Amino acid sequence: MAKLVLDPLTRIEGHLRIDVRTEQGKVAEAWSKGEMFRGFESILSGRDPFDAPVITQRICGVCPVSHAVASCLAVEGALGITPSRNGRLLRSLTLGANFLQSHILHFYQLAALDFVDVKKILAYQGKDPVLKEVKAWASQELASNRVLPLAPFLPRIPGDYAADTDWNIGALTHYLEALEVRQEAHRMAAIFGGKMPHTASLVPGGVTCGVDVEEVENFRSRLRLVSRFIENVYIPDVLLAARHYSGYADIGKGVGRFLSYGVFEESRGIYLPSGTVANGRYASLDSSKITEELAFSRYEGDTAHPSMGSTVPQSGKADAYTWIKAPRYAGEAFEVGPLARILVAYHQGMPEVRTEVDGLLAATGLKAAQLDSVLGRHAARALEARLVARRMETWLDELEPGKASVTPYEFQADGQGEGLTEAPRGALGHWLKVEKGRISHYQSVVPSTWNFSPRSSETSPGPVEAALLDTPIEPANEGMEVARVVRSFDPCIACAIH
Amino acid sequence: MTISRRTFLKDAGLIAASFGLSPLLKPSLASALEELATGRAPILWLQGQSCSGCSVSLLNSESPGPAELLTRYLSLYFHQTLSAATGPSARKAVEKAIGDKNTILVVEGAVPLGMQDACVIGGEPFAELVRRAATSARAVISVGTCSSFGGIPAAPPNPTGATSVAEALKQVGITTPLINLPGCPPHPAWMVGTLIHLLKVGVPELDEHRRPVRTYGQLLHDLCPYYADYQAKRFATAIGEKGCLFKQGCQGVVTRADCSRRGWNGGVSWCLQARSVCIGCARPGFAADPEFPFFRFNENASQESGKEVTS
Repeated sequence: MAKLVLDPLTRIEGHLRIDVRTEQGKVAEAWSKGEMFRGFESILSGRDPFDAPVITQRICGVCPVSHAVASCLAVEGALGITPSRNGRLLRSLTLGANFLQSHILHFYQLAALDFVDVKKILAYQGKDPVLKEVKAWASQELASNRVLPLAPFLPRIPGDYAADTDWNIGALTHYLEALEVRQEAHRMAAIFGGKMPHTASLVPGGVTCGVDVEEVENFRSRLRLVSRFIENVYIPDVLLAARHYSGYADIGKGVGRFLSYGVFEESRGIYLPSGTVANGRYASLDSSKITEELAFSRYEGDTAHPSMGSTVPQSGKADAYTWIKAPRYAGEAFEVGPLARILVAYHQGMPEVRTEVDGLLAATGLKAAQLDSVLGRHAARALEARLVARRMETWLDELEPGKASVTPYEFQADGQGEGLTEAPRGALGHWLKVEKGRISHYQSVVPSTWNFSPRSSETSPGPVEAALLDTPIEPANEGMEVARVVRSFDPCIACAIH
Repeated sequence: MTISRRTFLKDAGLIAASFGLSPLLKPSLASALEELATGRAPILWLQGQSCSGCSVSLLNSESPGPAELLTRYLSLYFHQTLSAATGPSARKAVEKAIGDKNTILVVEGAVPLGMQDACVIGGEPFAELVRRAATSARAVISVGTCSSFGGIPAAPPNPTGATSVAEALKQVGITTPLINLPGCPPHPAWMVGTLIHLLKVGVPELDEHRRPVRTYGQLLHDLCPYYADYQAKRFATAIGEKGCLFKQGCQGVVTRADCSRRGWNGGVSWCLQARSVCIGCARPGFAADPEFPFFRFNENASQESGKEVTS
């Protein structure tokens, strides 16, 4: 029996510590520990409700648009505002661009260095001028007397990196290319959002900027560029990684229960559906079943629905080991994220998702049950990037240039609202109450709150704590296997705690 | 698509142009970039009470782009979001960077002085880590409004006793040169430009809030494309109307930043071009007054605030 601690667990958003206890070479128990608290909910109290999208975006610099949308929906619900058609579409386009940048950033900048051996660049013999420059840089760095040569790529932890030189060099090329493609996705989000990170234009009722045909085509042109990368680089790279690391189709199986709130407002309805999947069966979503439990979290109070819950920090609380609360649906832990969205859509019977998933299974030889794994999460994220990028073209087509992007409204001084959407990492909900024109209650339950939640009782671990169980550990790898499982969930700890 | 193939000297020229430097400065600027590239000025980037938005903004740098920043301009000794190292190897990298006297410490996020366990890295309270690192660093750069002034974590009721980095260092008498680069997030050019200036020319001229005058020397309002509307008193009151946004709550009149000249995300837009207001995200008092909403759509005329504000 041994204990392994990864602190800080890097190449994620935020401050995460993972502890595991191993027995006979496998993880027997795991603890997910969120290490940074700010207290957004109390900071929102007493403010004008239109401050909510501005403030809540600052919960997260990676997925701010999701928070803006969730808070706009919550305020609209509370104050009886109906967003305009253009406003809905512009929000979805800006959110979609945020999804694409986040998914690409996650696979290449955050996860890839778990699999790619960057040192293979030293063996490069080809003529590509960029790769020759990178090779020269790497050689010069390694020959230098710097205390940390080749940072931030070295030092790294040992691992069973794939031996294939060409694959490693190709992946490194795509790492560098992805830096520029995700930047392009941010430019897309800024066209109607004003700037990124942290958009300026998303307000309850819609979006402050108008729809100009030149900007629509500017957006579309950049979307085509990002789409080409997704189709020709991102998806093939995920399929190749699945071949080199096929064992990870059987590692990282989670709680087996998946939840999505549904996302992307269209001119009619929502693109990706809401619902839950447990034991392979779809059920519609009932948001009244959501609670947050606090037994092992550093807060005062009892289990409550977020419309009633509170966030009162209690540092030094006995038995508590994290700042992350424990969201539960009908009392049980649920996994959220791209895999959850894809499985909910699949089991709900959405034709294009069934086609994509069946195609993936045929191309990789994976069984459907193996989607609940490290590889399955990466693959679902890539498929979702393709689906969203394609769908964004139709949102551009549906925009009505010259028509208003925001709905006029009569301000109501009192109300209560719930804003449910999805962030790149999963289900995102904001709940607020407005009294005498001011926010009197605010609660956010965020994707990584679900996935990185602590136990709600000794027998009910959070989704990542459960997914780590039985992961085989090679002591010489210093926890690489643990890190791979954790990163497949794309953690955002600033979000999870807020 | 192919990644950028620009040459080193051309980049230096582009940067010189983007900061309005004289062409005569180009050769010395090139050697400043080389100094960064050869790692003689390594960066230790620590995150406190942050959202990583400043880091993401850095990756939006244009000319030099992000790949060039990583491979040519920065020796990024440790960065929470980008470093391959994890767990014990990450802690070792941080210690090695602290041990190098040439390290420039970049801090993103506020410091929870009132609640030490509100931010912990590798078992060490962030307040202690940042003080240890700042003591030995060549200079400290506080990127973002949280680390410069406390930002949203320090907004009322400031549940964790969050402070700026400058305040956290001052309380224990650390006098390492410190530069504030506020903005939520700061524009990537503010960060990259300041680093280059720091290395080649030294600490840039700073104002009373330790902000580089070259970036924060003017009010956003003074460079605003709607300045003529303001002068002519053509004010937009409802969303979507034409005219100056002052009466919607625009804080460009009290915010020092060059967004109106520079634009964001490669110049595709910025807050006012998207017909939203300036929320004053680079101001020392950003988000500090709950009575002062960002958008003044919902307040009664009687509630209008006439408070003094700091730009």
